[in-house]
Amino acid sequence: MADATAVAAAASSRDPATGLAAVASLRTLLESLEELQVRNARDQGWSWQQIAAGLSVSRQAVHKKYRRHID
Amino acid sequence: MFERFTEPARRVVVLAQQDARERAADRIRSEHLLLGLCRATDTRAATLLAARGVTRAVVEADLGAAGPTERPDQPDLPDKAALASVGIDLDEVRERVEDAFGPGALESTRAAGSRGRRWGHIPFDRAAKKVLELALREAIRRGDRSIGTEHVLLGMLHSETGRAMPLLAARGVTLERMRAALDEPGAASG
Repeated sequence: MADATAVAAAASSRDPATGLAAVASLRTLLESLEELQVRNARDQGWSWQQIAAGLSVSRQAVHKKYRRHID
Repeated sequence: MFERFTEPARRVVVLAQQDARERAADRIRSEHLLLGLCRATDTRAATLLAARGVTRAVVEADLGAAGPTERPDQPDLPDKAALASVGIDLDEVRERVEDAFGPGALESTRAAGSRGRRWGHIPFDRAAKKVLELALREAIRRGDRSIGTEHVLLGMLHSETGRAMPLLAARGVTLERMRAALDEPGAASG
């Protein structure tokens, strides 16, 4: 990682391009991590209901999002 | 394809891929391979290059002066620098995810794959493939059994292998000179 001063400067930047790019990247990272965790939970026999509870979303939401790609 | 590569030559390919990823390139090109050669500093090729003043910094400066070829950053791609700006170290995240789910786990997700190649496997462009093919041919030509960094260097000194060749030629690194340098006694493989 870049040195702490540079990172702190960027984090406190009011430049929209910097801030929005950070949010967009966080979203992609979030999606990847969610996918890995949902797949892992299914592999370990968790129900969609249990996974939904873990993610604090509705069963329908998580099922709709992942059923076609996982299982 | 890489089974005949020496360990340092494999490292160069990995470094080239890292470099392409960091630059948000959609393909690994010959200049990424050249940067990989420079970055693997303890190798035969890096030694040959450094002796002629070609280092990573020099190559990066030359590439910068020649103008960018990379596409501009896509805002929806996971960006290492952008994540660093909010205190998240993407390499650290990747490392922990891989500890739990195995190598390449993050890159294997649909979320990463559908939004770009920056995280995962980046293909070689045609010229870079040619460099690797020519590296094999150079190894055969020299009667070497494996492909080392020096063969990768020779491979990129042929024509039609992308940006590395003219950049190196401008620095006095040519196919003939490098072949001659390798024929000098004491030239170890690696």
